[in-house]
Amino acid sequence: MMGQLVQHYVLLSTVIFLIGAIGFLVRRNILVQLMSIELMLNAVNLALVAFNRQHQGNMNGHMFAFFVIAVAAAEAAVGLAILLAFYRLKASVNSDDADTLKH
Amino acid sequence: MSVGSLFFSVCALVALVGAVSTVAAKNPIRSAVGLLATIVAIAALFLKLAAQFLAAIQLIVYAGAVVVLFVFVIMLLGPDATTGERPARLRLSRWGGAVLLAAITGAALFVMRKGFGPLVPLGPVRADFGSTEAVGGLVFRGGLVPFEIATALLIVAVVGAIAVARSKPQPKKPRAEGHETRRLFAGPLHPRDAERPLPKESAR
Amino acid sequence: MHALQKLFPPTEFALLAVILVLPLIGAIVNGVFGKRLGKEAVTTMALFAIGGSFLASLVSFSLLASAQAAAHAKGSEEAVRFLWKGWEWVRVSGRHDMAQVPLSIDFSVDALSGVMSLVVTGVGFLIHLYSTKYMEKDAGYHRFFAYLNLFVFSMLVLILGNSLPVLFVGWEGVGLCSYLLIGFWFDDEKNAAAGKKAFITNRIGDFGLIVAMALLIYYVGSLDWAGIEGGRSNLLTRVQMWPVGNQVPGTSLLQSSMPSLVEALNRPRYVSAASLVGIALFLGCAGKSAQFPLYVWLPDAMAGPTPVSALIHAATMVTAGVYLVCRMAGVFVLSPAVMFTIALVGAGTALLAASIALVQNDIKKVLAYSTVSQLGYMFLGVGVGAFSAGFFHVLTHAFFKACLFLAAGSVIYAMHKRIHDTDASQDMRNMGGMKKYMPHTFAAFAMAWVAIIGVPGTSGFFSKDEILFKAYTSSVAFPIPDGKLIDPRSGKVALELWGWPSWGPTVLYAMGVLGAMMTAFYMSRLVFGIFWGDFKGWKIVKGWKEPEHDEHHGHHDDHHAGPVEGPKPQESPWQITVPILILGALSIVAGFLNAHPLHIAPLDHFLEPVFKFANGAKDVVAAGSKGAGVVEHPGAHGLMWPLMAPGLLALVAGAGGAFWVYLQQAGGPAKALAEKLPGLHALVYDKWRVDEFYEETIIGAVDSLAEFAVVFDRIVVDGIVARVTAFVVAATGTGLRRLQTGHVQAYAAVMVVGVGGLGWFFVAPHATTTVKPDEATGSYQITAAPGLGYQYRWDSDGDGKPDSDQFGAEASLSVSLERGQQKKVGLEVKNAFERVSKKQVTLFRPKVDASKEGPGVIQIEQGPDGQLRGVMPGQNKPLELRRPPAPPPGPGGPPPGLRMAPPPTRPNPAEPHQHQPGDVH
Repeated sequence: MMGQLVQHYVLLSTVIFLIGAIGFLVRRNILVQLMSIELMLNAVNLALVAFNRQHQGNMNGHMFAFFVIAVAAAEAAVGLAILLAFYRLKASVNSDDADTLKH
Repeated sequence: MSVGSLFFSVCALVALVGAVSTVAAKNPIRSAVGLLATIVAIAALFLKLAAQFLAAIQLIVYAGAVVVLFVFVIMLLGPDATTGERPARLRLSRWGGAVLLAAITGAALFVMRKGFGPLVPLGPVRADFGSTEAVGGLVFRGGLVPFEIATALLIVAVVGAIAVARSKPQPKKPRAEGHETRRLFAGPLHPRDAERPLPKESAR
Repeated sequence: MHALQKLFPPTEFALLAVILVLPLIGAIVNGVFGKRLGKEAVTTMALFAIGGSFLASLVSFSLLASAQAAAHAKGSEEAVRFLWKGWEWVRVSGRHDMAQVPLSIDFSVDALSGVMSLVVTGVGFLIHLYSTKYMEKDAGYHRFFAYLNLFVFSMLVLILGNSLPVLFVGWEGVGLCSYLLIGFWFDDEKNAAAGKKAFITNRIGDFGLIVAMALLIYYVGSLDWAGIEGGRSNLLTRVQMWPVGNQVPGTSLLQSSMPSLVEALNRPRYVSAASLVGIALFLGCAGKSAQFPLYVWLPDAMAGPTPVSALIHAATMVTAGVYLVCRMAGVFVLSPAVMFTIALVGAGTALLAASIALVQNDIKKVLAYSTVSQLGYMFLGVGVGAFSAGFFHVLTHAFFKACLFLAAGSVIYAMHKRIHDTDASQDMRNMGGMKKYMPHTFAAFAMAWVAIIGVPGTSGFFSKDEILFKAYTSSVAFPIPDGKLIDPRSGKVALELWGWPSWGPTVLYAMGVLGAMMTAFYMSRLVFGIFWGDFKGWKIVKGWKEPEHDEHHGHHDDHHAGPVEGPKPQESPWQITVPILILGALSIVAGFLNAHPLHIAPLDHFLEPVFKFANGAKDVVAAGSKGAGVVEHPGAHGLMWPLMAPGLLALVAGAGGAFWVYLQQAGGPAKALAEKLPGLHALVYDKWRVDEFYEETIIGAVDSLAEFAVVFDRIVVDGIVARVTAFVVAATGTGLRRLQTGHVQAYAAVMVVGVGGLGWFFVAPHATTTVKPDEATGSYQITAAPGLGYQYRWDSDGDGKPDSDQFGAEASLSVSLERGQQKKVGLEVKNAFERVSKKQVTLFRPKVDASKEGPGVIQIEQGPDGQLRGVMPGQNKPLELRRPPAPPPGPGGPPPGLRMAPPPTRPNPAEPHQHQPGDVH
């Protein structure tokens, strides 16, 4: 039944990760891209916790997920700050306009 | 179907629907709400996986801070938060994305089937598994250095976010003609400094 | 004397360093600091440098003479040679069975080079003194003396070198200085072109010299004089000249249709190695000493200042070729064909140049062609084997030709005061009657004139007469019996040498006598033209003053109304007249150094040890043959006085004829002859149009090649190659730039692709192996690389089927092999995702065990004294061998007269080398 095997959780994690990855590559709205990144990080957290549930020798999985959450929060804050600065520069949040590094 | 698997199915469904709406919604507020749904569903799954501490942290930090931050910024941007992405392009990417998703999911299924040996259901957990004491004990014993570094990281992130997102100060309005003292201090003191700007002005 | 002998022992003769270094210092000081030092300092430096070198040469000569006399008293016939070692320059690999040839910078002096260095420094000193006055008004005064000193240094390096490479350095050095000095007034394009012509023509000859050096390294294995002398018998081997390879390419196609033609084409033609070396060396001599066909540079070289013409193109540089022939006499006499060629070319050049000199009007050109002609005489002398006679002519020619050139320069100096145009001031038709205005110059010129035409008692008489006598009586015989080289392996005749023709002596003598007559004629014509008659240069006006024109008006003298007026031609100052008088006196009395008819021949006696191998060479002679190398006609001594008669007749006819035509008939018959045969006269006046012929054919070909190269460069290299590469680079850049979109998502997509690749790498199994060989025992260990969840399956016998059905965990396999055996081992790897990868490894054990060091290989060589030595590779000290354990690396055919044990078999270096059992290689 669902939810008893670690494989179920890993599969769910994979799918959420893929949704986030594809969303990041496809969407042009920077806000949506940042949210996709958060999706990916969440998916990874789910996989970590699931594996730790399977191998209960130590709590390394939980600790790793804890740090992932901390880093994700920091990264979201900085990313949004950059978004604001970019908005001030180009008056848009379309990532197609962020091509200053173009040849 | 047992309660556990029903719970898992519901949470997984909510997570997936939320993820898809995060990625596919045109209105960023809808994306944020979808993200919120996914986060809450994953927190519920943490609970099912006996990770109580992490479930709480997930809700406090992610749902309570990160999503709120996103909503703040969307509100700040106002109508500009919605970019007019050309629908034609979007349709192709959507279908392409869906196909890619299906393909890789199938590959992952295949890999999982073949590898990692026989399928063993998850065993029982001890009572204090996933509790705050268990995680905290590990963090403050073995993982103390990463913890402190993460602290520093957060401080740096805060300062950096403030520095980057700060709006540039407005240029000073020129002083009106009038008081002698003000005129004395208004421009350069010596003719030779007329070409050279004062360092204060060049920092802008 | 004793103190000097103690100070300069024969093996460390440091005086040679003094002789060489003084002119070098003079050149460097004058060249670098000359402008700042001023004229007096430059003069002093140059004169002291050459003078010091001359004194050192004198001291060396006297030491050498006493050493030679002492050796002769003891009964030794060896030539005394004083050696001064420099350093070892490089080691060259010779033939595969010979040790490396060391090329060292050493200098030595023996009788031949001692005399030559005296001549070079002595005449050089006089010419330096002369130049101090002649060039005093020139702006490049210091540059002139720097070049002149550098020339003397190079010439001394050439003469005093102990080996061919050092001689070659000097050879090139004198060529360079000749170029610098001919084009001394390089602002005039003509002079620069003349300098270039000299250098390039010289260079063509130098090619011959380099080829000769390479051949000598290959066959003889040594390039210093002692080594060449000792190993020259190796040159008596045949070399296949045609076809190159086994057959002419394409003849195999014609084999069936025209077999006789194919056979005629592919029949191998051979020459002896000695002939090859000889002809290559002679090519070098022809370039340097202006023989046909490379003489064309010498008349053009008259564009340089007169002292340069005197020193370089009369006395010293052009005689370097004769010196080389004398030095390598031991090699030349091994080939009668080459010797005859030398003699014939010399005689022919003598006639050719004399014929051109008959009609020239420029006095320097007459003397230039006279030089070419006299050089022909010298080569005639050495060609027939009369080395000391040819060398004696070098000596006397140096005196009288230098005197002639310097005296002519004195006349030109006087003419130049009024006529500034170069060509006009040297033209004989503008001179005349100078003997009353320039008595000293006339005296010197006359002394040299009587010497060159061969008036009995003068030096020119004795030297030319000796050459003519030897041309008739001397010849070069075969160095081996009957001139047949026998192949020792088959016993058959390998090569038949070309022998001295019976008509040779007569023809050579006749050409010599004819040339003597022409020499007498044109030299007398020259003397009469300059010094007799009325002065035709300008109208002599008493108390004439130089008008205050500036220099540029000097060339427009002839445009003035009325005949040109000028002062009496002045006699030249003492710096000019004293050297020419000294040289004139020498050209009269020097004959008694080698006056054979009067049986006084100290020079011959002195030089005899140097040429001993040439006269009746004992070590190259087969037992029973009646003489080898240079032989004399039987009954030669009786012919000495009778053979003098045609020479005297030629002198009288020539000089008398010139007297009659130019003094009595005032040139009438000459003009009449020129009018009757205008075509012939024009041809001879134009130097037989040889220069024009070269211009059309050879130089034209090179010019076409150069034009083609220009077009090729512009179209292909610049147009295609440069543009295409630039285009490719730009296109690649444009293409790659498309990747830089500036969008983060694009970069992220690329990262995803990369991660996918990484994922594939981890998911797919990789079968990589390392082999640890142990060739001593033959057990090879194969280890497979580990991986995630890898399981292995081996196939150790190479039959394609794995050893077991299960995948196991053992990652290494041991295989044992016999020597020379080859095995194929298979590996299959399965990873955690149950994907399998296969690999096959081939193991081979070599037959011979190369892991241990084998015994060293000794190379056998023959030292200069004939003893056999073994040289271990990597060691410098040779091992002395008691008995030759293996055949020494000689060629096929040296006669048993050599001081070696007769060997059983001998590998012939001309044939492809086949390994025989027992070879020590």
